[in-house]
Amino acid sequence: MSAPGRSSKTPPLLRVRGLTKKYGDVEVLSGVDLTVTAGKALALRGRNGAGKSTLLRCVTGVDAPTSGTVELDGEAVDERSVRVRRDLAIVLDDMDFFPDLSVVEHLDVFARAHGVADAEQVVDEVLAEVRLTPQAAQLPGTLSSGQKRRLALASAFVRPRRLLVLDEPEARLDQAGLVWLTERLLREKAAGLGILLASHDPDLVAAVADRVHDLDRPT
Amino acid sequence: MSASIAEVREIRAQIRHWRRGRVDTTLMEALSDAYIAVFSALVLGAMAANVIINLHVITSGGCSSVSCLDARDALGWLFGLAAITVVLAAARLLGPMLVTPAVGTWLLTTPLDRTALVRGRLVGTAVVAALVGAALAATGAALSAYPADVIGWLTLLAGVVCVLLVGAATVDQAREGPVVRLLAWSLGAVLWVGLVLVARDSVPALLRVPAVAPLRVAVGVTAVAGAVLLVLAYRSLRLIRRERLVSGGMLLPGISGALASLDLTLFYDILVARHWRARSSVRVVRGRGIGASALVWREVVRLRRTPQVLIALAAALVLPYLATALGLGHLMVMVVTFTGFGAGVGLFTSLRVLSRTASLLRCFPLPAAAVRGACLGVPGAVLVLWGLAATPAVHDAIGGAWATNLAVALACGVVSATAAVRWMTSRPPDYRLPLITSPMGAVPTSLYFSVLRGFDVLVLGTVPLLVAPTTNGAAVSMALMAAVLSFLVSRP
Repeated sequence: MSAPGRSSKTPPLLRVRGLTKKYGDVEVLSGVDLTVTAGKALALRGRNGAGKSTLLRCVTGVDAPTSGTVELDGEAVDERSVRVRRDLAIVLDDMDFFPDLSVVEHLDVFARAHGVADAEQVVDEVLAEVRLTPQAAQLPGTLSSGQKRRLALASAFVRPRRLLVLDEPEARLDQAGLVWLTERLLREKAAGLGILLASHDPDLVAAVADRVHDLDRPT
Repeated sequence: MSASIAEVREIRAQIRHWRRGRVDTTLMEALSDAYIAVFSALVLGAMAANVIINLHVITSGGCSSVSCLDARDALGWLFGLAAITVVLAAARLLGPMLVTPAVGTWLLTTPLDRTALVRGRLVGTAVVAALVGAALAATGAALSAYPADVIGWLTLLAGVVCVLLVGAATVDQAREGPVVRLLAWSLGAVLWVGLVLVARDSVPALLRVPAVAPLRVAVGVTAVAGAVLLVLAYRSLRLIRRERLVSGGMLLPGISGALASLDLTLFYDILVARHWRARSSVRVVRGRGIGASALVWREVVRLRRTPQVLIALAAALVLPYLATALGLGHLMVMVVTFTGFGAGVGLFTSLRVLSRTASLLRCFPLPAAAVRGACLGVPGAVLVLWGLAATPAVHDAIGGAWATNLAVALACGVVSATAAVRWMTSRPPDYRLPLITSPMGAVPTSLYFSVLRGFDVLVLGTVPLLVAPTTNGAAVSMALMAAVLSFLVSRP
């Protein structure tokens, strides 16, 4: 996992310029500009329907913006690009699971697909961290919604990454899970990763974010 | 932590290994399942072949006039065209390339080679499309009493065309272009024009029984074009967006589940939900009126918002006139009621939403019957008008006084509308009822009957018209439908 330098002159890892997204005649996002640099976290804030998830889907190349550009290291983001898939660790709200693969098998296959050499060890460590070791052999259908959320978050930490994109990562987590998430994100920053997260949790934002982008305010 | 990216086959082998480790089916159970599957396929295949042969005998014996023979010849072609249109529409609906949501989440988001992940699906889809298209085209050609060698070449041609269409649809899926949508509409339009020509008794020479030589050439040319398009499709696989691949994968389990539980209305719900999700937003139209009239106005707005349902209904009007050309006689009333039901059921979507759950119905400060009545008024009137528009066809088929035929056509429209209401207000099978043993496991008694809903009312309303296509028959039919409608609307 690379850890780029963090001087103020370091070019941004992620740069969004003039991003506009329309659904039909409805303009959800209008001219959004933002940057995320390595080792820093940017939080998106806004009321329900402000366009946080839409922005994250555009930033990660899942949806195409109506206009504007999204660049990762100066290269346009498109989720079909192998480089983008390698560098961006994304946890949105559209996670699905193989009904017949266990918790540990999901993470194992994910890590191996990303070329993690010591997949078994990494997976076990992350499983323990998200407190899913006792559920390692369980199928996803038997997990609670909070456990599924922790499995989704774990998928971001068993693989190489340079930028973490998280949509309301605190959703459905208990208090211990929130404490873990905050500590984990701080460690990710310290390791030189960029973080872009949308969140409704003021404590998480205050603890992790270096900057806040308010989508309720006109840009 | 990072190393070289794993190969798709390594990942697949690992997953296969896990899955094999938890297989709990014994060899005898697997053999028993295989026996049942083969036996069922043989029995159903024999039944289908028997039906086709009998229909072939009937059409050969009862069709002797020049216009009927022309129409029968053209129907072989039109059936083939319908077959490839259906295959293209299904391919467009499902992708044609698709992956399960789990693969979308856990494998497509990794740097794995997407082409390697999806190429098996391309081959499988092309084979299935070819088989389905060929089977449908062969059925049409056999019903039209074409010679055996012509049936064979037409079947082959339909199969090859379907492979070509799968290739084209895959390329279009990657490019996110409008080509396949336009192609599907164009094929539909050509099919409709063909049906109109047959109905007008002006079948062009192009639609007569084809010669074998040009069919061979067509198969050769199409096969080459299909191979080229499959190669292009293969090279496009890596360009298909994850959302586009997962979209069909999300749809398929829902459709399978709905069909497995014989719940056709659930199948319809899934398609409608997908349509509106894709459309995403609409132009706002403010409400009018107060109370039930506000619901009636909303139905008018909804019809304006979905003109394709009205277009389909108008296009379907050709079928009763086609039945006249085929000399179906009194069976015409059946053609009218069944076509009206099939083409017009999509008008009653509001009724479906209100019947699916009680939560929405509870939101209105009106009796349930008033809400349902308000929702079915406009679509019901449209279907009755559609029935009246078929009056000339009914007159040609049945003969007699125009006033009588007008009453019969009116009754046909009422029957179609009532059957559509019955279908849309059907409730899912109740698993709290006593269960009975079946090869599929324990099923509630209401499961088998759920698939007949709508069709039961169609039969109930059509039989009096078949027995007596007169004013009296129409009166009996409409009285029965009034009773059914009153029950359906007023039940709690």
